Amino acid sequence: MTPREIAVLALVAGGAFFAFVAAVGLLRLPDVYTRTHGASKSDTLGAGLALAAVAITFGFDLSSVKAALLVLFMFITNPTAAHAIARAAEDQGIEPWTTDEGDSE
Amino acid sequence: MSESTSEADLEAAETADDLQSYVESPIIMATVRVVSPFVFTYGLYLMFHGADSSGGGFQGGVVVATVMLMLGIAFGIDPLREWVGEATLVLVVAGGVAAFVAIGVGTVVAGGGFLDYSAYGIHHASKYGIEVVELFIGVIVAGTITGLFFAIDAGKDGGDNE
Repeated sequence: MTPREIAVLALVAGGAFFAFVAAVGLLRLPDVYTRTHGASKSDTLGAGLALAAVAITFGFDLSSVKAALLVLFMFITNPTAAHAIARAAEDQGIEPWTTDEGDSE
Repeated sequence: MSESTSEADLEAAETADDLQSYVESPIIMATVRVVSPFVFTYGLYLMFHGADSSGGGFQGGVVVATVMLMLGIAFGIDPLREWVGEATLVLVVAGGVAAFVAIGVGTVVAGGGFLDYSAYGIHHASKYGIEVVELFIGVIVAGTITGLFFAIDAGKDGGDNE
């Protein structure tokens, strides 16, 4: 394996891992705030790593420039979307989940 | 448990009283300011790419309409609707349809079939013809989706108030 293949493999494996973490967080966490918290960060990193692998695979090409731009915009927009969801949920009066409330969830 | 439900009911009544879907946030506004020109350009790129590659008027129109959705979410949907004006929106969609039909019928007038671009007799007629038609399809789709977004927002306080 060339070093480039190893780098692509490592990036894809990391991206799949963080996407898996995001999916588990979305399924297992109790309410909207913790879910946006869990999904937005790890999903941003997972998609970013996968797109970085795409950019390295294409090498010095227009396609890798496009992939790099996608990474950039994903890092800008994904946390903003999570912020917007959390803020809208707070505005709608959704109470954050806490452990001392106990059996409600 | 009963306390918490009554509290939730109270809050629901409160929010129903002043039902405002707009939450001001400097983070969202700044991001929309930075991102929306790029999204608009990407929508146009998709429209013009439809002739010889993936993409096209429908996809590009949806992406351009996303700019309007982002502006509505960041700066408030009601101010955006007043700024755009519903008459302007209808005019844009109707103008797009009219331009599409005019191009299509124009080929018939020039002696070909409907949307038979080679009748215009220009270089690469079908490629440029498809690109112009895709552009107007994009205009129609973007206007329609923006209108649907406004319509959904207008129905938020309890049903059909047209």
